[in-house]
Amino acid sequence: MRRYLLPLLFIFFFIFESTFVELLPKQLFQSDMILVPRFLIITILFMTIYGGKKQGIIYGFIFGLLFDVVYTEIIGIYLFMFPLVAYIIFSMMRIFHSNIVVASIVSLLGVSLLELGVYELNYLIKVTDMDFSTFIEIRLLPTLVLNLIFLVLLAYPIKRLFEKHAEELKNE
Amino acid sequence: MPQFFLNKRLIILLVSIIILVALIGFSIRDREQLTWPEQFLKDTTGWVQNVFAKPQQFVVGIFEDVQDLQNTYKENKELKSRLDNLAKLEADVQQLTKENEELRELIDEKETLRDYTPISATVIGRNPERWHELLIINKGKVHGIEQNMAVVTANGLIGKVKSTQQFTATIQLLSANDPTNRISAEIQGEESVYGTIEGYDGDRELLKLKRIPKDAKIVEKQNVITSGLGGIFPEGLPIGKVVDVEPDEFGLNQTAFIEPGANFYDIKNVIVVKREMIKPDLSEMIDDEEEEL
Repeated sequence: MRRYLLPLLFIFFFIFESTFVELLPKQLFQSDMILVPRFLIITILFMTIYGGKKQGIIYGFIFGLLFDVVYTEIIGIYLFMFPLVAYIIFSMMRIFHSNIVVASIVSLLGVSLLELGVYELNYLIKVTDMDFSTFIEIRLLPTLVLNLIFLVLLAYPIKRLFEKHAEELKNE
Repeated sequence: MPQFFLNKRLIILLVSIIILVALIGFSIRDREQLTWPEQFLKDTTGWVQNVFAKPQQFVVGIFEDVQDLQNTYKENKELKSRLDNLAKLEADVQQLTKENEELRELIDEKETLRDYTPISATVIGRNPERWHELLIINKGKVHGIEQNMAVVTANGLIGKVKSTQQFTATIQLLSANDPTNRISAEIQGEESVYGTIEGYDGDRELLKLKRIPKDAKIVEKQNVITSGLGGIFPEGLPIGKVVDVEPDEFGLNQTAFIEPGANFYDIKNVIVVKREMIKPDLSEMIDDEEEEL
């Protein structure tokens, strides 16, 4: 039963991101800030930190592809960025202790890496013409604040879930 | 040198960059249709999103009801003042429609660019990253939706259908930064002025209506509608109101800035517009008898 719980959790966050944007109050949505929920990549990063590198990268690959196909219709950007960020974060975590505060900060760093990478790629293929300082101001900072709130609320339950999952994998 | 190439990680990185470029190149070009695995994935997630959309709309509905209650008094006053004019307007419209029909019959012209069949749909998803302004709706090919159809809400045009699957479709909003998104539009006035909507000013949240002749006189608050001359959209869908007019960079044309009538953010239900009049084939329009001269 638990085996299916994890993919379901990821699918939930995948769909929830789009629902979240629609549920956002009008005033927040129409203001100059752009808040992007990055809950999916945060769970994938926690997965990488607590569940293991291989699993994290595989999930990143699958959900990156899904994200591209369903939401952006340009295949490749998230397919490339999700596993790459997961890999970088995993390499970084070898230096640190995997305590929950460090894991949260590192995954926020992962979110900014993802945002930056996606921005650069979109800029390259001319999907956007936003300049870099505007990007930092109206996109990156609000997004980081939003995801920080998400982490404060849900980092602990997610960590527990993945730790249990990792133990079960070891026992098998 | 050989050691450089033996580094496994580097090779993986290089290969994935090549694949990345190939995939982006493949998917960024103007595609008539998505490949079937993409369509299948989108339909499947569309089904899951449909399940999510129901409780979501319920929650949003409750909040909106509360907000509506707060404004009831003010709205009621405003609506009453409008009601006085309505009866006259209604009579006028009826008379004019009838007259129009009679005149049309006289000249044997039954189909117009104005005729369309509406297909109503519910929004079940929105692109969360907001680089691309895309919406997902719960109607698809099965329900008669095709690529490039116009999409409107009660307040005006919001975009076009970007791609279709069997049971879902993706809508690209007018606010997207896409140079290929062009709509032939008409500014209503004593003398109609035509132009094309090209691009969106993200800072001012206004649409740009370009290619208006230099000598055309345009005033603020004139209504802008679709002209139907583009071949896909029907005539007469409201777009918005003129806010500002500027000469373009070479001084040959004018650019009008238009405040869209519809809200691009708060979209729940949309109407996909299917034009009745068939778009003529390009080959029919080109006179190929010339060659036989």
